[in-house]
Amino acid sequence: MASTKVPAGHFSILYFAAASTFTTKPNEHLPAPLEARNLFAQLEERYPGITEKVLNSCAVTVNLEYVDVDGEEAEHLDLVIKEGDEVAIIPPVSSG
Amino acid sequence: MATTESSSYTPDVPSDPLTRITDNIYIELTPNALDSLACTRFVRSPSAGATVLFIGTTRDSFNDLPVSSLAYTSYAPLAMATLYSIASSLIAKHQLTKVAIVHKLGECPIGEESIVIAVSAPHRQAAWRAGEEALEETKKRAEIWKLERFEGGEGVWRANRDGVMGVKVEDESGGKEATKEGL
Repeated sequence: MASTKVPAGHFSILYFAAASTFTTKPNEHLPAPLEARNLFAQLEERYPGITEKVLNSCAVTVNLEYVDVDGEEAEHLDLVIKEGDEVAIIPPVSSG
Repeated sequence: MATTESSSYTPDVPSDPLTRITDNIYIELTPNALDSLACTRFVRSPSAGATVLFIGTTRDSFNDLPVSSLAYTSYAPLAMATLYSIASSLIAKHQLTKVAIVHKLGECPIGEESIVIAVSAPHRQAAWRAGEEALEETKKRAEIWKLERFEGGEGVWRANRDGVMGVKVEDESGGKEATKEGL
């Protein structure tokens, strides 16, 4: 699940449920640093259509903390994803 | 399609149970069969006059469509933290004695337990309320995902709330959404 060693200059990103289906992988490494506000655009470039199909309904965590980078007044607009960070795409949950 | 899964999908789950245990909280995510009696035993206490036990089992149909199997996957470290946070909030809010929340990961055969919640409190009102709230909060927040596989078809990632992945077809509690691709 959580990725093993992250190569230098990269962060790891985990995809769950529909996000994993769309990307066809549970995780991968992407180049760091990356401004959190550019994360979705970066993913859209790699996986055309993912924003509308998946990301618009997803939350994002960085190192197990939820971050809000959506919209002009979002709390973590200035957050930078750093080398070695663990980012996760969290689709709507369905336990129980 | 974005929200369906091929029939060859196998969930990535830990091979051993993950647990977080304190004097009054028991949290577990496990690939093994759930043990509701163990949860009851954990919350039992001389200072508690009431124990409420909830057992959630997997249904064999969704809107009359036969479901052949289910599997749960999780962002385990985050889900453990979320479940622990739900349990400790409920203890403070309802003055509970103890709480246990256990959820299944991986394949869950139809009709078997997928979630067990046990709460104990000095009096029954608090236990009833907290038991229901524990389940609702878990369904709303725990980073766990259910894949329903329909007979002869692909799997559908369920969503407990409205989202672009699901089209709501029944206005009830969680898990009552259908995804077009799956129907």
